[in-house]
Amino acid sequence: MNLREKKIVSLFAVFAGLFGITPTAYAMHIMEGYLPPKYCIAWGVICLPFLAAGYFAIKKQAAQNRKSMTLLAMAGAFVFVLSSLKIPSVTGSCSHMTGTGLAAILFGPFAVSILGIIVLIFQATLLAHGGLTTLGANTFSMAIAGPILSYGIYILCKKLKVNNNAGIFLAASIGDLFTYCITSFELALAYPSANGGVVVSALKFLGVFAPTQVPLAIIEGILTVIIVIGLETYAKSELIGIGYMDGGVK
Amino acid sequence: MEIDLISYASKIRGWNAAFKVSFAVLLMILCIGLNNPYVSAAVIIGMAYLIVVKGGLSVREYLLVLAIPISFILLATITIAVDFAWKPIGQYNLHLGFFYIFTSLEKLEEAIFMILKVFAAVSALQMMTLSTPSSEIISVMRKAHIPKLIIELMNMIYRYIFIILDVYSKIKNSADSRQGFCDFKTSLHTFGGIASNMLVISVKKANGYYDAMEARCYDGEMIFLEEDKKITMIQFISAAMFISVLFLIWGFTK
Repeated sequence: MNLREKKIVSLFAVFAGLFGITPTAYAMHIMEGYLPPKYCIAWGVICLPFLAAGYFAIKKQAAQNRKSMTLLAMAGAFVFVLSSLKIPSVTGSCSHMTGTGLAAILFGPFAVSILGIIVLIFQATLLAHGGLTTLGANTFSMAIAGPILSYGIYILCKKLKVNNNAGIFLAASIGDLFTYCITSFELALAYPSANGGVVVSALKFLGVFAPTQVPLAIIEGILTVIIVIGLETYAKSELIGIGYMDGGVK
Repeated sequence: MEIDLISYASKIRGWNAAFKVSFAVLLMILCIGLNNPYVSAAVIIGMAYLIVVKGGLSVREYLLVLAIPISFILLATITIAVDFAWKPIGQYNLHLGFFYIFTSLEKLEEAIFMILKVFAAVSALQMMTLSTPSSEIISVMRKAHIPKLIIELMNMIYRYIFIILDVYSKIKNSADSRQGFCDFKTSLHTFGGIASNMLVISVKKANGYYDAMEARCYDGEMIFLEEDKKITMIQFISAAMFISVLFLIWGFTK
């Protein structure tokens, strides 16, 4: 082998290595201990207004109708279970839905912030994914930024009279991609590259996680559409009960 | 829910939950705050001792749980260790067409320290979760004055998770026995169908549970019988000593 061939071989080895560990179950949960203290606190503080809004929204709902508490709890448990299930994948690696896009469409973005942080705590304590010191950063990317964008896209598509299924696909998959971008940004901000700063570092994180996250976002979009079609066919009354279809969808 | 099962079987489950939770959280904060590889190594060893020797978990099972975050750790630390540049700089570099990826001993060292730190914080978290069932962790949060509404939701969600998982495994078995996962496209359809049915069933169950709770005078607060677990002097002193040893290590290796 000459030098050039050696380089090609080593390059392929790196990529094979990256794809070999693709069974990144919950790759986008920032692990416990990964972020320095000031970023843990900063992201936690940024989450607070959204969590407060979610808290008051839930409180108002619970005061009006106690029944909504059991429904919300079931919704939270549903999102947790959905995110813990292995989804079908082409390569045979095991990956998971985030379920946040679906939850935002069904329950609205405010309730999802509270449900999301609870689900993240349970993922840390029951599944060992994510952590407590990184809870703020994870909550912001997965329970706040992603769902709000998903919901926004969903509403926008509805206003623009885009096909309902296409709207749901776009909302779920773009929300998922946005979560992945925000997480990469959070990581990059904490560990900027020595040669080029935050931007280069963000590109590095985006690149490293792209092989798992981009296909995952597309699958998440498809699955969300299938789930909503199933729900609209079999569970109209339940959907009205949880508040979906309020805004006159269909 | 392997971790839940292990936590109920742990021999240190009888320790005071608030003590374990605050000890674990304090250790996590020390790990990321002091950011010292020797402190991290000491925490890893200390937690392994607590979980394996005191808690009675087999080494193999402990390693399996520790390995869960391994893919994130590898990907995220490679990203820190390796950098891009247009010119060949750094101690080790590899030319990839337009640009170079490079790294240096310093960066590799940083990455290894990073791995140590993450594993230390993760093992502190594991010490807590592998010995304290979630219901006890929730009760600690209640004592820490987290709003009642959130505690209530957490209590219910924790219990509903197992109900929905049970529903899922039944639906999945029957779908699997009807060739529901024979190829990729069918799998997607089956998965979507299962998920939407799961939501329908969970909404139905939620209605049922509401009626059952209402019949038992539920007024927005569930009260559970809790065992009163006392902190022994030895536990308290050992924890304080461990933390002072960590500070000493930090002081000497700063």
